[in-house]
Amino acid sequence: MDLKRVLDGIFALTLHSTKKLLFGKKAIITILVAVFVAAVMGYAGSQSHDALDDGTNLMDTLILFFFMPVMAMIFGSALIRDEIDDKSITHVATAPLDRAFSYLGYYLPLVIAVAVSMVAISSVGVFAFFGQHGFGSEALQIYVEFLALVIIGSFVYSSLFLAIGVMFNKPVMVGLFYAFIWEGYIGSLPGAIQNASVKHYLRSLGSEWVDFGDISRWDQASSVWGSTALLLGLTVFLLVLGAYLFREKELA
Amino acid sequence: MTVQDSGPKPIIHAEALSKWYGEVIGLNNFALRVTPGITGIVGPNGSGKSTFFKLVLGLIKPNAGSITVLGQRPWKNPDLHSSIGFCPDYESLPADSTGREYLTLIGKLHMMHGTALSKRIQETVRLVDMGKALDRKTGGYSKGMKQRMKIAGALLHDPELLILDEPLSGTDPLVRKDLMDLIKRLHKEHGHDIIVSSHVLFEIERMTHNVALVYMGRAVASGDISEIRNLMDRHPHNIVIEGERITALAKLLLDQDYAVSVSFNDNKNSVTVQVSRPDDFFNGLPSLIDRGQCSVSKMYSLDDNLEAVFKYLVGR
Repeated sequence: MDLKRVLDGIFALTLHSTKKLLFGKKAIITILVAVFVAAVMGYAGSQSHDALDDGTNLMDTLILFFFMPVMAMIFGSALIRDEIDDKSITHVATAPLDRAFSYLGYYLPLVIAVAVSMVAISSVGVFAFFGQHGFGSEALQIYVEFLALVIIGSFVYSSLFLAIGVMFNKPVMVGLFYAFIWEGYIGSLPGAIQNASVKHYLRSLGSEWVDFGDISRWDQASSVWGSTALLLGLTVFLLVLGAYLFREKELA
Repeated sequence: MTVQDSGPKPIIHAEALSKWYGEVIGLNNFALRVTPGITGIVGPNGSGKSTFFKLVLGLIKPNAGSITVLGQRPWKNPDLHSSIGFCPDYESLPADSTGREYLTLIGKLHMMHGTALSKRIQETVRLVDMGKALDRKTGGYSKGMKQRMKIAGALLHDPELLILDEPLSGTDPLVRKDLMDLIKRLHKEHGHDIIVSSHVLFEIERMTHNVALVYMGRAVASGDISEIRNLMDRHPHNIVIEGERITALAKLLLDQDYAVSVSFNDNKNSVTVQVSRPDDFFNGLPSLIDRGQCSVSKMYSLDDNLEAVFKYLVGR
């Protein structure tokens, strides 16, 4: 295996796909979501008397719980399938690069695109809310902590939705089911069943870091190290699985 | 005609190759030996040409049989792609990218960088005459420009073997001629071995005499095009003749030993002749018209379409 060729290939694909994802049609969705979040959090900020708790709860439910998986699903679930369907994957499939590594050339730009979008959306929300109450050091701390959570979430959810894109012929349907039914509903149920969602472990991490809002008082949290290990393990497992399936896939 | 086993070392060697998609057969016991030079793969739509190319490129794996390309098995062998350039028959250019961005991506995937890559891009686009459109979005290219840019992408890394799947389809006659000249030049002046497919035999004839005919998932004939033409000529051809006093001509045709059958169509001014030796028929026809005192207003072969030729070759 020629390591330089592999790294060059991954870098070239990352550059190409990042540009496509960030400046393509899906950028409009990021802008619309950001506008929506600004409106909701801006209005909530104007009505709030307990800014730190209310702002944290909004960041928790609106951004981390709802838009985080949804945006990853929008960017990731059809990324590879769309290229297979419109056959623009030909230049990747006929490149002298093992397809398992080409898969990384899709994963990295997806992480970048999801993270950049979520950081932008989070920033708009934070400034729309806390901007009305004076952006103090505690608000800045909440902001930084949620940025860390959405960046971690970008790595995990990207590996999940990219793998779905390789596993299924209709990945958007599966992605919608996962994002809305599994993460949105199952992940919000009381009891151990919610441990089967990514958001549970993200929230567990958040409960250790964040000092305000419901998330700081969350009593169902798994341990920080356990959550970290699980999220890391899940990400690596999904990456290896997706890369293996992509390598074995016939591009008819 | 059978697959040749002698001669120069093959660049592609397929033996008993089969590929099916569920109940649909793409290739069936396909055998072909492609030698260096320009080779034309001719077959009607759905005959298995693209399936064969996908197997050559390792995009799909065979269900049975074997294939080697440049001495290597292509499935899960990305290193082989360093030696192959592929121009697909479908739209594969990223519409949001400029030609330069597209070629830069291809070049970087083939480990080309910096000034060497820029220089090679300039050389390649000059070769395919796309220098002026290099910085335009490919989504705005005409069909001919897209074909040229796809060929540029296939050529960029200077591969040993070029695979051009229907490169002339959808182009106007002028572009068609330019592309045929380019393909010949790529072999003659730049030394690329080229496999080019088409469903139009005469287009391939203008680029090479070395052809393989593919029909219903099989290579039904391969070799020099004149041998294939001879093979085709050994089968009866159906020719329709229309005009006045055709009945007299029909009577005279029945006496000729090359005429297998003569039958009237909807009216007495149109007859279909089945002939075993088309050359003898065409050579003798003027004197028969003269002897029968008839006039021919229209004559055409029912077998000019490739489908009919292939049906002959597979004995259907």
